[in-house]
Amino acid sequence: MKSRTLLRRTSARTLLAVGLAASLTFAAGCAKSEDDASGSGEAASGKGDSGQVVAGGDGGATCAIDAYGGKKFDLKTATVGFSQSEKEANPFRIAETASIKAEAEKRGVRLLTANAQSQFSKQISDVQDLIAKGADALVIAPLNSDGWEPVLRAASARHIPIVTVDRKINAKACEDYVSFIGSDFVEQGRRAADRMIEATGGKGEIAILLGTAGNNVTTERTKGFKERIEEKAPGLKVVFQQTGEFSREKGQQVTEQLIQSKPGITGIYAENDEMGLGAVNALKGAGKKAGDIKIVTIDGTKGAVRSIVSGWIDGVIESNPRFGPLAFSTLDSFTRGEKVKQDIVIKDSAYTGKNAEADLSQAY
Amino acid sequence: MTDLALGRPAADRDHVLRLLQTYGVYLGVAVLLLVNILFTPHFLSGENFRTQAVQVAPVLIVALGMALAIGSEGVDLSVGSVMALSTSLISLYLGYGVWVALVVAVLGGMAVGAANGSLVAFIGVQPIVATLALMVAGRGLALVLLPQLKDVRDPNMASLGSGALLGIPYPVLIAAALALLVAFVVRRTTFGRQLLAIGDSRPAAQLAGLPVRRVLVLVYVASGALAAIAGLLATARLSASDPTSLGNLMELSAITAVVVGGTPLSGGRVRIGGTVAGAVLIQLLTATLIKHDLPPSWTQIAQAVVIVLAVYAARERSKR
Repeated sequence: MKSRTLLRRTSARTLLAVGLAASLTFAAGCAKSEDDASGSGEAASGKGDSGQVVAGGDGGATCAIDAYGGKKFDLKTATVGFSQSEKEANPFRIAETASIKAEAEKRGVRLLTANAQSQFSKQISDVQDLIAKGADALVIAPLNSDGWEPVLRAASARHIPIVTVDRKINAKACEDYVSFIGSDFVEQGRRAADRMIEATGGKGEIAILLGTAGNNVTTERTKGFKERIEEKAPGLKVVFQQTGEFSREKGQQVTEQLIQSKPGITGIYAENDEMGLGAVNALKGAGKKAGDIKIVTIDGTKGAVRSIVSGWIDGVIESNPRFGPLAFSTLDSFTRGEKVKQDIVIKDSAYTGKNAEADLSQAY
Repeated sequence: MTDLALGRPAADRDHVLRLLQTYGVYLGVAVLLLVNILFTPHFLSGENFRTQAVQVAPVLIVALGMALAIGSEGVDLSVGSVMALSTSLISLYLGYGVWVALVVAVLGGMAVGAANGSLVAFIGVQPIVATLALMVAGRGLALVLLPQLKDVRDPNMASLGSGALLGIPYPVLIAAALALLVAFVVRRTTFGRQLLAIGDSRPAAQLAGLPVRRVLVLVYVASGALAAIAGLLATARLSASDPTSLGNLMELSAITAVVVGGTPLSGGRVRIGGTVAGAVLIQLLTATLIKHDLPPSWTQIAQAVVIVLAVYAARERSKR
């Protein structure tokens, strides 16, 4: 009996040891993934990173350092803090952080970074940390629009200029923060609608793959798209809208259900590239041919632009994540005492069959 | 006279309730099928049933492992993270060939399972706490190994995800085979009997001289392996490794399938047929709501109603 217990113990110990050894092996880095040979550094190098271009003319409110409070300083000798909202796990966030880092390096600015990992309370404490560590200016990619009062109060007490990128904060511009730099999501929706009207000829039934519910990006991209469709192409009917939660897997599953219950569909509008690529998977699985159903997506990632080249996706409206150059030039002008605009809306380009191959290097 | 009149219907009600507890999930599936056949256009087609079967396969495989864990009076919350880990490992090891990658992925799932089982069996941590720890750690490890979505272009993986044998897709065949295997193990093997005995009463099993620790470790290893298989099938179907979103909330879907299928959370019983039907029920429910283009929040509410009904049935059973 005793020996049996002993045996049992040892076998369990062996199991544990094997388990530990196995998990260590994973970390040891003997991994060899599919395309290690072919340019894995491609994404990081950021070729063709031309930064962003501001849309529109000189209209809109401006902000100058006298109105905001504080003293002029030279950005070159300053420390800038960057607070990222989500972990750099999707192409947009990766390109955004890389662009901020690259621009800081180019200008020789000392950059402090923090990542809130999608937790708003962490982002608040991140920003407080950045201020405590001596950031002279802040670039924030906010996770939420609301709830920023305590941090902004701390920052404005020290007259630290703040630029928010990609999402806006619900606070007073030029008082709580300096400027907002971002895309106009409603406009992106409108342009996607234009592309859809062109691709389908303005007739037929279309479906929308919505983003995550309760997210302003989802709401605004839907609003712009539907408004434009109603206004310009009454013959185009939205017969289906379900959330794909901005993920490829959900986009694929929902599209599979869609093409079975509504086989007559002529177009799919996916509110981001990942869901669009999921829809492509679903169409391939259902035996459709490239171009049978017109897909229009928003973002401009490499995968989606490649799918335009192969004919599965009809058009991609870009949402440019490369905020670095514009964020730093705004801070630079502001700290030198010049006026800067409170709302800086960037110009997003688009990819279609005509330019996808040539402009593939600009996709992120 | 009055007593009799009151007594008879009460007994009938008990009887009906007991029947509902045992066969309610099958009834639910039948009702949903009927509703869809009547009201959903293009529902009665081979292609549609294939789609539903392919979509339910990963959930079902995970639920099988979950049923074992719940049968041993535990729970495995780490299954979603194991799926993410498995997808990361596939992407990392695909360079060595598809078989190596698949084996490594399953070994990874078994390693997480071994860690879960050791925490539960040797250190005596509550299953919910132990597997919660590995749920967090597993997802973290998956993201360290593969920080972002990566396309999988291997043709073998693609055919695993979308290929078929005699018109039945591989994922469905694999899920069916695993369901039969697990059902056999639970009903016909010593291991299955020991598992149920431990789930019924761990002290009694210990006193009876059953190898409690070994069985518990094996239960979680099996659950980890099954979750890893679900992860690799999901990867093959997506033709991409996406450790950020793959397997999110999978533990809840799996627990729902098991509980709705009539396996009590108090352990000691495992109903594999019910688990399969439970997974199918949730899938059909989601499909119905999507096909009729109802708001996504309705799906969650409908799932919640199903869970409440299942738990209500389970409560009645324990009172009996």
